[in-house]
Amino acid sequence: CASAPNPKPGAAPSCPAQCHCEQDGIVLSVDCSELGLPEVPSALSPLTAYLDLSMNNISQLQPSAFRRLQFLEELRLSGNQISSIPGEAFSGLYSLKILMLQNNQLSRIPAEALRDLPNLQSLRLDANLISVVPEESFEGLQSLRHLWLDDNALTEIPVRALNRLPALQAMTLALNQIWHIPDYAFQNLSSLVVLHLHNNRIQHLGANGFDGLHNLETLDLNYNELLEFPGAIRTLGRLQELGFHNNNIKAIPENAFVGNPLLQTIHFYDNPIQFVGQSAFQYLPKLHTLSLNGATDIREFPDLKGTTSLEVLTLTRAGICLLPRAVCQQLPNLRVCTLHSAVPQTSFCFSSGLQHNRIHEIKADTFVQLTALDLSWNDIHFIHPDAFVTLRSLTKLDLSDNHLAALPLGGLGSLTHLKLQGNPALSEPFAEDSFPKLRVLEVPYAYQCCAYGSCGGYFRASNQWEAEGVSPEDEDPHRRALELFPGHADNHYDLEADEIQLDLEDSKLHPSIQCTPSPGPFKPCDHLFESWIIRL
Amino acid sequence: MHPNVSQGCQGGCATCSDYNGCLSCKPRLFFVLERIGMKQIGVCLSSCPSGYYGTRYPDINKCAKCKADCDTCFTRNFCTKCKSGFYLNSGKCLEKCPDGLEANNHTMECTSIVH
Amino acid sequence: VQKAIIRVIPLKVEPIVLEGEFASVAEVTPAEGKLLQSHPLSLCNTSEDEHTESGFITIVKLEQPDRDPNPCLSLANKAKLAGERGARAILFDITDDESAADQLRKPRGLSQPVVLIRGHDAELLMGVVNKNREAHVKIEVKEPPAWPDYDVWIL
Repeated sequence: CASAPNPKPGAAPSCPAQCHCEQDGIVLSVDCSELGLPEVPSALSPLTAYLDLSMNNISQLQPSAFRRLQFLEELRLSGNQISSIPGEAFSGLYSLKILMLQNNQLSRIPAEALRDLPNLQSLRLDANLISVVPEESFEGLQSLRHLWLDDNALTEIPVRALNRLPALQAMTLALNQIWHIPDYAFQNLSSLVVLHLHNNRIQHLGANGFDGLHNLETLDLNYNELLEFPGAIRTLGRLQELGFHNNNIKAIPENAFVGNPLLQTIHFYDNPIQFVGQSAFQYLPKLHTLSLNGATDIREFPDLKGTTSLEVLTLTRAGICLLPRAVCQQLPNLRVCTLHSAVPQTSFCFSSGLQHNRIHEIKADTFVQLTALDLSWNDIHFIHPDAFVTLRSLTKLDLSDNHLAALPLGGLGSLTHLKLQGNPALSEPFAEDSFPKLRVLEVPYAYQCCAYGSCGGYFRASNQWEAEGVSPEDEDPHRRALELFPGHADNHYDLEADEIQLDLEDSKLHPSIQCTPSPGPFKPCDHLFESWIIRL
Repeated sequence: MHPNVSQGCQGGCATCSDYNGCLSCKPRLFFVLERIGMKQIGVCLSSCPSGYYGTRYPDINKCAKCKADCDTCFTRNFCTKCKSGFYLNSGKCLEKCPDGLEANNHTMECTSIVH
Repeated sequence: VQKAIIRVIPLKVEPIVLEGEFASVAEVTPAEGKLLQSHPLSLCNTSEDEHTESGFITIVKLEQPDRDPNPCLSLANKAKLAGERGARAILFDITDDESAADQLRKPRGLSQPVVLIRGHDAELLMGVVNKNREAHVKIEVKEPPAWPDYDVWIL
């Protein structure tokens, strides 16, 4: 690149009035942002390498405003009122790498002005009013790698213009009104790694819509109107992150991701998915989270052969009748397995939510290695004495709202949270040492709390399950499972694995036991006249 | 200054308050949280500060952190300029360039080997 | 209502002693740590975790409810998130949002205590945050009234 002219000895490069300038070796960083400037200052030093004119009142760029700035590498013009740019505005900026024009009033790509920027790598045109992208828009930009066109008024993918950007690596077309992706839309973008198309109106996707994107790793199709599974992804052999949540997709076909063996995350919650192909999630050795909520037509547990890294599986409100015994062997890393369905005979891996089913009996060897189990809202009359014996690591057990008269204590020594209210026949109090690690207890009667510490002082009334302030009747069964496995009552169905890990360890437990309903003057601990009936 | 709308707010704020700074931004600006000593205030910018990337949503535009080895990024997983000591290769910051590419110590990028 | 004593020890200024009340959403326990303000929008699922080292006490100045018509999380979940991000206790300045007291009344067994502060005490505390770079805070449990001894139980 051209050598710097020799400034007069001792003369400091000039800094435009009001602006803030910093010398960096021989070049200058000039910050003229938020000064209310109506136009580009004239007295700009030729040694300017960084020029920030953002958040001013510039509506027009003078044709030769930056002609002498051969060393300018970054030019910020964001947050002004620029509606058009004359053809020669950026001529002479041979060193320019970063051009920021976001948050202006451009309605079309200033193709003429962008013609001669051979070293431009990053071009920000987001948050304008662009609806027209002429074919020659990016002709001179052979070095362009990063392109922002999000939050504009595009209705089509600018196929011809984009096909002149062989070096492009990352692009966002999000927040536009694009309604379809034609075949071969991105055919020449062989270097593209990231493509964001979220918050558009995409309904149709050509079967060859993503052909040519050999290096794509991240594809974001969230918040669109896709009616069918985006089968065009089959050509994306290096895809790692895929999102199509908040669309209108009803089925995930067999072998859906056969062409994407490197997938690590798939987000597709908030779709009316009814059917999932048995083989849809096979052979995804890098996948660690799979959430299949509300897929009411699923009859069989998905075959997860070859998807060995799965840690969190959420499969609520499906129609599964049987859980294959081999599921634990197939998923050696599974830590959380949330299943909302009628499952008479099962064995689970780590923890499970089985609320609102029709389970009426639990057999001897039903549960293995669980840490959290929610069986609330069933019709359980009887629990076999050995049902929990193998559960050395069970810490949370919810048996509320059943028909229990007794609770076998074998195997429950590690419990920190126990919920039993809603079992009117369960009237016997527990011995204090039955649950040595208990922190939170909810029982049918107040006197059953008296075994756990004094009846006054810090004895707080508590409803300690993670549930939000929602009464059980109007609680969405799916939401309860989520709140048993924390994230937050307000978050998406798709849970962050580390959040769950944090709660399962519950490292910050506090010694005092929270027991409800708490005894008081009208629910005393000591029974009157030798009859506990009076106490109730 | 009693918390109210737009009076005395920093340039890009739509609403603000004395203690919390910006509570919401003018359209198309990015909301960023800035910590100054004990204080944490909201600020509204036309582009995210260095070390952050912006994501636009219909209701709010937010800045989030790039990875630790990255100075500027397009998304969290795609870096556009690495911190010193790392070489940039297709959005990743590497301490050593992979086989078949050579380290360019001027641009701090991995480039194809020119024979 | 369980009262709380809040001792604020700024780095270079005289300590001050304020009063608040423990919210029953969390346990009533003392706590101590470095004071850090959290913007209400910082306690959202989608907002960045600043990765401050744990062991701090966070103060959140709540705005009037109409200024944040659809908050990202309930106050209880904001308190929980602050705890998960390392806060030893959460102070809410509810001067401009008295409804917060009701929202934080329902017990949820959060491990880190939640203390509500309002009015002049809150103004003093926010003043410390505004004018000092660093301060240490000790939250103590003000002795609760003794458990009433009834001789006769009326059923």
